Amino acid sequence: MENYFDYTKKLFDPSRVNEKPEVFKGLRVLDFTHVIYGPVAARILGSYGAEVIKFELPWVGDLWRFGVYWGSFWRHSSVCFHFVQYGKYFFSLNLKLPKAKEIIYKLAEKADVVMENFASGTAETWGVGYSQLSKINPSIIYLSCATYGQYGPMRFFPGWDLLAQAASGAISVTGYPGTDKYYKLPDYVGDFLPGNIGALSVIMALNYRKKTGKGQYIDLAQTEALMRIMPHFTYNSITGEELGRTGNTDPTMAPSGIFKSKDGKFVAIAAATDEQFQGICQAMGHPEYINKYKDSFERLKSENSKELYELAGKWVQENTVETLFEQAKRHRFAVAEVEDDYQISTDEWRRERGSVVMVTDEMYHKLLLPGPSAMLSKTPARVKWLARPLGYHNRYILKKMLGYSDDEIKQLEKERVVGYWDDRPGIKPPVYYDMKKDPMFNYKGD
Amino acid sequence: MSEKEQILVRYGGTRKEREIFLKSMMSPEGKPEVLDDAVILDASYGNLSGDICSSIYAEFGAEVIKIEPPEGDPSRKFTHYGINRNGTGIPFIMEARNKRFITMDLRKEADREDFKKLVKNAHVVIDTFKPGQMDEWGIGYRQLSEINPSIVYIAISPFGHYGKKAQEMIDIPDSDITAQAASGVAANIGDPVTEGEPYNWPLRAGLWLSWYITGIEAALGGAVARYYTRSTGEGQMVDVATADSYASLVGYPVTIGFTWGKARPRIGRHDFCLYPYGFWKSKDGIVAIAAPRDHDFRALLKVLKLWKIEDDWRFTFDRIPDILPMIEEFYKLIENETVKYTSDELIKMALEYSIKSARSKWRGGGVPIIMKVQNPSDTMKNPHWAVRGSFKEFDEPDMGKFVLPVNFIKMSESPPRVKWVKCNIGQDNDYVRKKYLQ
Repeated sequence: MENYFDYTKKLFDPSRVNEKPEVFKGLRVLDFTHVIYGPVAARILGSYGAEVIKFELPWVGDLWRFGVYWGSFWRHSSVCFHFVQYGKYFFSLNLKLPKAKEIIYKLAEKADVVMENFASGTAETWGVGYSQLSKINPSIIYLSCATYGQYGPMRFFPGWDLLAQAASGAISVTGYPGTDKYYKLPDYVGDFLPGNIGALSVIMALNYRKKTGKGQYIDLAQTEALMRIMPHFTYNSITGEELGRTGNTDPTMAPSGIFKSKDGKFVAIAAATDEQFQGICQAMGHPEYINKYKDSFERLKSENSKELYELAGKWVQENTVETLFEQAKRHRFAVAEVEDDYQISTDEWRRERGSVVMVTDEMYHKLLLPGPSAMLSKTPARVKWLARPLGYHNRYILKKMLGYSDDEIKQLEKERVVGYWDDRPGIKPPVYYDMKKDPMFNYKGD
Repeated sequence: MSEKEQILVRYGGTRKEREIFLKSMMSPEGKPEVLDDAVILDASYGNLSGDICSSIYAEFGAEVIKIEPPEGDPSRKFTHYGINRNGTGIPFIMEARNKRFITMDLRKEADREDFKKLVKNAHVVIDTFKPGQMDEWGIGYRQLSEINPSIVYIAISPFGHYGKKAQEMIDIPDSDITAQAASGVAANIGDPVTEGEPYNWPLRAGLWLSWYITGIEAALGGAVARYYTRSTGEGQMVDVATADSYASLVGYPVTIGFTWGKARPRIGRHDFCLYPYGFWKSKDGIVAIAAPRDHDFRALLKVLKLWKIEDDWRFTFDRIPDILPMIEEFYKLIENETVKYTSDELIKMALEYSIKSARSKWRGGGVPIIMKVQNPSDTMKNPHWAVRGSFKEFDEPDMGKFVLPVNFIKMSESPPRVKWVKCNIGQDNDYVRKKYLQ
């Protein structure tokens, strides 16, 4: 029989991703979301083949077009915005005007999914809420993303990732016990994770619609999504105490922790199961602990796990990363080096796997982006193009999808129903790029 | 007017009506379940991310059959400080919702034959063994896809099931803390170098961030694959690596590593993009404050009566935290004011300002957002979650009373729900054997 890894390599081969079929081909998503939480959900559907139309205000644009690290733009754009918005159609339209609503309602007739992440009720006020769009198209799936959800006493509270982390308790659980130092979860994961859960719920609704033909309304609260991943509530209800902060150790596994090795690198180690614990005791040269802490619940008790934590810390300090990995392979316990951004972006195995992909784009040339977390062998996610300047696809959408004539489009531009960028970085194209020659921006028809 | 139209009219009604209507609209009582026709075989072993993935399917109504050896899955014993109920730890109880538990020793030939029989009627298989283990046993994707071509096979492992690294690291098992380290979580939490050790070290996120992300991403990939199966009848393999699920989810480590050509330093409580966007001490606790846009910032200064510093920090680009001492100074300027008020006062001040600015004819007056940094026990007491039914108390004979976070997605037609939480080893042996193996 063929070697397993040869078989799987052929199955997943990252170089063949673009030849494979797209699951959501033919689905249309109207994306009224902004910043991260929300756009991510739409982008995931897009990466599996859906046609995502992103709406932005003319001359204003998505706030996250300016969300740049330490104030530095990359080719007059934000890299995070590229990551959050790739593969969408950028339509810049002034929602407040009646003509714009006409356009939206026309698009909604043939749309499958609609997403918004304004404060509760705002989309309704603007005439693009579920109550209005489901009248036009009853089988529509409508996802409302909010920090605290669409109903409940806190529904009008505005929120960002930080506030969801604060309200769910996620901020209060990271850090060292007995200090006044708190840390938030990094990289706006409080936006990204709920955004992914939003995509999951829409896919479930699509599955339901495939079975029954019915659309539905989804109310997703960012804070609830974060609460779902915290064991602290259950711990609290069982013990009557706060689990609190546990510093650099995982209280569910002993020993476990992040330590500094002899060669000055940071290494995480953990022994999850009894077998792994026996292995690590052997590796540390302390086989006597195997019998002492035979029972895993005994081993995890606060003072015992502390003893093991200190023992493991000392052992890691006396060894280099290389020996630690050797030992881990021989004795089978979990070990990993703490990888920073540079290591992650240059790791060879991530490129080989397709977890890190060099995207070649007509406008922005080369950008390294992460691949999807879940690799699908037959219908993988892919990056078709990066984010585009504000209003880039206006003419394409009006002409190709809605059948407007050149004169009508000119009239819309004149009335400022649709619009484009001004001179600010983030919403304008890169300086080297000649927009006049761009076939998509100047779409003339097939 | 049809019933649907009546609903829509009511739905678009006043605020109060909208709230009452939405609550009844989202109630899961008596509604159909989207995955009620799906059978999930969860063979995950010693890795809770597989259980998290199957939990999500179970909440959406799938029949999840968790397969354990007779002595139980080792992940039953991963628990905080050894706290357990009847030999089962807290994380496992949390992920035991709506599942069937059967014993089947996949190390034994005879049980593997039974497993293959189950696969004939199943839609999804979840595998967290080391890559190739199931294949060696004759029950990997290669063999199962022949038995049942529409099977969706979800594999979870530290480095995935293909590629050189996966082969090289095949003997190293998975854990949440090592996955956090390898995927860039730990490297980006912690204090700047100027603080002493160990505070400037990489720090673990205080929850199973990597395992939960992995489980949710696996469920997402599996749901996409299931949609494809519904259209074409074809199954496929879904592969998730815990060592990159976080990095792929948030994207920052890769894009920053590439565009900067170096790693970000750790900057403690500050944020890289937005300022003020963090937490400050109040008279009686800690508050999170987000007012990064210029007009939000101006509003915050008015709320805190700090207008005198406006000139120095006026624009977003004055407040970029790239010079740490500068931003620390700014942090203290705000803290000097926030400590004068209690958390509730601050929240009220910000809300009052926001309402006023939204109603003024100068719209866009700024929305300074202030929220209490809550402990999980405060969160549980918050009446907002009671209205939304986000927590549910269970009382099981073997486990006593405990609370779970539930209903994390509200859907009008086919919402997820938690029906029961029971997780004794082999409790559903008879049920499953009668239903699927005869």
